[in-house]
Amino acid sequence: MTDSYDGPILEIDQLSISFFTRLREIPAVMDFSVKVMPGEAVGLVGESGCGKSTVALGVMQDLGKNGRIVDGSIKFKGRNLNEMSQEELRQIRGSEIAMIYQEPMASLNPAMKIGKQLMEVPMIHRGSSEKEAYDRALQVVTDVKLPDPKRILDSYPHQLSGGQQQRIVIAMALMAEPSLLILDEPTTALDVTVEAAVVELVKELGKKYGTSMLFISHNLGLVLETCDRICVMYSGEAVERGSIKDVFDEMQHPYTQALFRSIPLPGADKNAAPLRAIPGNFPLPHERPPGCNFGPRCDYFEAGRCDAQDIPMQPVPGNDRHATRCLKFQEIDWNAPLAKSDITEKPEPGRVVLKMDDLKKYYEVAANALFGKRGDTKVVKANETLSFEARESETLAIVGESGCGKSTFAKVLMGLETATEGQILLDNRNIESTAIEDRDTQTVADVQMVFQNPFDTLNPSMTVGRQIIRALEVFGIGNSDGERRKRMLQLLDLVKLPRAFADRMPRQLSGGQKQRVGIARAFAGNARIVVADEPVSALDVSVQAAVTDLLMEIQREQKTTLLFISHDLSIVRYLADRVMVMYLGHVVELGSTDQVFSPPYHPYTEALLSAVPIADTRVKKKHIVLEGDIPSAMNPPSGCPFQTRCRWKSQVPGGLCEKEVPPVRQLGDGHQVKCHLSDAELASMEPVIQIAAE
Amino acid sequence: MEPLSWFEIITRVLLQFMPVWISLIALFTLSIVYKRRLGLYGKLFDSTIGMIGFALVMFWVFTGIFGALDMIITHDPLSQLSGMKNKLPGTPLPRPDEGQYPYYLFGGDNLARDVFSRMVKGAWIVVQIAPLATLFAFMVGITLGLPAGYYGGRLDTLLSFFANLILAFPVILLFYLLVTPEIVETGIPSYMATVLFVFPLIFVGVLLNSRYKTQPKVRTPLLFAVLGILGWLYLSLISEAGSKVSVLPGFLDLFDIPAGILVVFVSVVFVNSPTVFRIVRGLAMDIKTRDYVAAAQTRGEGPWYIMLWEILPNARGPLIVDFCLRIGYTTILLGTLGFFGLGLSPESPDWGTTINDGRRLLQIYLHPAIVPAVALLSMVLGLNLLADGLREESLRD
Ligand SMILES: Nc1ncnc2c1ncn2[C@@H]1O[C@H](COP(=O)(O)OP(=O)(O)O)[C@@H](O)[C@H]1O
Ligand code: SF4
Ligand code: SF4
Ligand SMILES: [Mg+2]
Repeated sequence: MTDSYDGPILEIDQLSISFFTRLREIPAVMDFSVKVMPGEAVGLVGESGCGKSTVALGVMQDLGKNGRIVDGSIKFKGRNLNEMSQEELRQIRGSEIAMIYQEPMASLNPAMKIGKQLMEVPMIHRGSSEKEAYDRALQVVTDVKLPDPKRILDSYPHQLSGGQQQRIVIAMALMAEPSLLILDEPTTALDVTVEAAVVELVKELGKKYGTSMLFISHNLGLVLETCDRICVMYSGEAVERGSIKDVFDEMQHPYTQALFRSIPLPGADKNAAPLRAIPGNFPLPHERPPGCNFGPRCDYFEAGRCDAQDIPMQPVPGNDRHATRCLKFQEIDWNAPLAKSDITEKPEPGRVVLKMDDLKKYYEVAANALFGKRGDTKVVKANETLSFEARESETLAIVGESGCGKSTFAKVLMGLETATEGQILLDNRNIESTAIEDRDTQTVADVQMVFQNPFDTLNPSMTVGRQIIRALEVFGIGNSDGERRKRMLQLLDLVKLPRAFADRMPRQLSGGQKQRVGIARAFAGNARIVVADEPVSALDVSVQAAVTDLLMEIQREQKTTLLFISHDLSIVRYLADRVMVMYLGHVVELGSTDQVFSPPYHPYTEALLSAVPIADTRVKKKHIVLEGDIPSAMNPPSGCPFQTRCRWKSQVPGGLCEKEVPPVRQLGDGHQVKCHLSDAELASMEPVIQIAAE
Repeated sequence: MEPLSWFEIITRVLLQFMPVWISLIALFTLSIVYKRRLGLYGKLFDSTIGMIGFALVMFWVFTGIFGALDMIITHDPLSQLSGMKNKLPGTPLPRPDEGQYPYYLFGGDNLARDVFSRMVKGAWIVVQIAPLATLFAFMVGITLGLPAGYYGGRLDTLLSFFANLILAFPVILLFYLLVTPEIVETGIPSYMATVLFVFPLIFVGVLLNSRYKTQPKVRTPLLFAVLGILGWLYLSLISEAGSKVSVLPGFLDLFDIPAGILVVFVSVVFVNSPTVFRIVRGLAMDIKTRDYVAAAQTRGEGPWYIMLWEILPNARGPLIVDFCLRIGYTTILLGTLGFFGLGLSPESPDWGTTINDGRRLLQIYLHPAIVPAVALLSMVLGLNLLADGLREESLRD
């Protein structure tokens, strides 16, 4: 689309959007303005529920039955979208504005071949011939770097992996060569290394086609990597807006500052420099405070001033298009060092409580579900020779992407599955082949788990208190209902929830609060080993800090051994004592946090470190993009599990990587890697993350 | 006396239903006032469709109840008045006694009985049997569907196979078989009742046991009491002096269910439970992957606790909706059974039997068949609308 328009592509001016429910009007977005220039990428960040998606849907004019733009304008290339007819809107939506959602399958038709879906776009919007459309489809599929484009065009969506599906959605969006691309958390459902590759792709294509982008994310690091400008939202309002550099380095709003202080940037340390969670809770749209929305949680709040008036957006003098919604931004000393919060002693790891020795877990799956004969089965090696020790008061992080065998390992440890080979020693007792129903109550109570998804971790039909009491009953704690109720209230205290929550239903709690209940439940039987399966990854950053701190605090008090499963290396670096990196069932690297985070790395660890977005402009990262997806555990590659994506493979002579599974190599001080690379090659590795001197 | 005009008939019928109108108005006023505190039931009053459905259903429920109290009816549903055979709606009685209602509002049937009163009385039978039979079908379906979905594997394959087998069997043929005297002679229906009606017992027993397992002091007496009472009811239900299943001595036998109704029950449970089974199985397969189920497993809960207390309560939304729809089907099924003269006694005023009676003279006299047909239609329509409303509302928020 070539036209001579050269003003802003998208100009949102004082936009207000409300949803009308049976009970009340819910103002989801208020007085929101942003401008996207041609070729510019603007990031929209904020916690869930702050109105990011609503803005995007507003631009698409797709607010559903009960949503309505109550004020302001949305101009696309100078034309007001609010005043267009349905016909015009349809035209623009298909060909000039494209949107990419978090869940790729939401945009794909499961019953139609990829090629056909892609070809429809130009055939409908541009009246292209079938031949042209096919060539164009082939072109974009090649552009989004999918292997074997012809085969992809001929397959159905479900035959592709999540990463590949998302690439197809991007390809579909690009088919029309839109001038504006809206991406709503496009990579949240993907693994880190896949996310890095998709983000890379989006950036590259944006440049190639000159597309402007509105990039919605809750991840500041990701916005830093992809965008030119950023707009921070809080509770329906934009609170700060400016170039990436201005906002990251010279933030002018207390919320932005608090947000940065609650994420684990390099240098944060759980003992010396703990994270600072934002106190209080996000206000519900109909319970917003008078005056400044952030007031009740703001460190600089001034009664009679901050709550006395509506706060307008004010330009920050001296910076380019930098504005903030804070009355006191010129009075606050933005460079004042953080008041040193309570520094805690690093607890000494105690004796070994849990020992895994060459643990293996293989699953047999019928090769053909329907007509499978006996012996016609395939073996999936979900865990391959896992060995490690965990001590009292120690945090061992288990890092890896989906399918690497983390959950299987947790299941075997909990006794939901029994091991195929090897042993698990809990206080020197073998438990690897005792299924949970044969374990004694004490063992069951000792090993407990905190789950990932806060919306799934509690039974929606039972009160919070009842669920904790049930755990107490099962673990045989307390002699009467009264005693158990008392203990339950104490547990609520322990996880810092008000006692009144005992009688609430889970749906009345926020994600972070549910996760706290999950923690209380896990500690009901005084667990000594807690497996935390991505306990904070589904929470907002400001809540993550609070929940992480809570876990650390309980761990310090109770000398718990914490097995922290995560794919987020920033948080792992912050809280783990030792780190175990897994890939396709293998432990590829194991060592203390310092050892794992500095060279020599295992090639996979190196790529993982490079993939994690870090929200710090000082950080210089080495750029390593992994090709392809994680192979399926059903069909692992021969030799080294990582060989299909490894960039160091060529350094190993004789194609050894493809032939032999590498041995475990000891690098001293308990640091081990599983790789064929020679000592000299390992020693030649450079650090991935470097913090530029100030 | 002159026959009543249509307008007069309608006025008089509406007047006759006065107790029902009063109850409906009271119920709706109360429900709407307190709807915010009434959970899913309260939300029903936000949906027009749901409200219409609920009103239709409650109309027949109240009609049934008041009819059973002999309130709305104008005549005895079984008594025949000479001279009233096949008379049109609004026909006056030839020689009304003192205090006798002087008209047959909806006319007379071919045995000179009052069609209006029979319709009202029939409502009670439908309102009683349909929900109860459906409830039994649910107990059976749930008790088998939960383990099939939760365990999967061989058990699931086996149970699903049987469910499909039953679903593939022609329903009407099954009914005919069940009521054939030769078959009744062999005791098959009684044995089937013995098997099917034991499920509620198992269900309640497992439910309570899994919940109170950790507190043996509460559990044991509770189980004894509840299962004792239920067991007695169960034995009374299935045992009947003289039939094949006669386990209780007469003086302990609390009540006897007429053989016809028992067969109806058995049939309805038998044909409905496979469908319920499949729904529950599907829901269980979905819900068992949730983290709260995993959490229960990791604290060592038994499988039945997980199925009944972690999975079942969270499957209730779709099940309630299906329950409404299924009462509707059962109502139709009852009608069908009655229509074929199966199950209930030929005298019975239930709608199916009445439609069947009226069928023979349908070409000449429409009213004896059309009145119960419209009643059946409106009740099933109401149940379907109610289910729609519930589904819509439970999906919101
Ligand atoms: N269809 C809707 N009806 C009522 N409220 C809604 C609807 N969609 C969103 N909201 C409310 O609007 C607010 C903003 O939501 P959203 O734009 O989805 O936030 P984000 O994308 O930042 O997570 C939330 O409080 C949400 O509850
Ligand atoms: S206006 Fe006041 S309360 Fe709001 S962010 Fe600024 S200082 Fe804090
Ligand atoms: S063994 Fe070879 S393929 Fe595997 S990680 Fe090492 S260098 Fe890469
Ligand atoms: Mg969103």
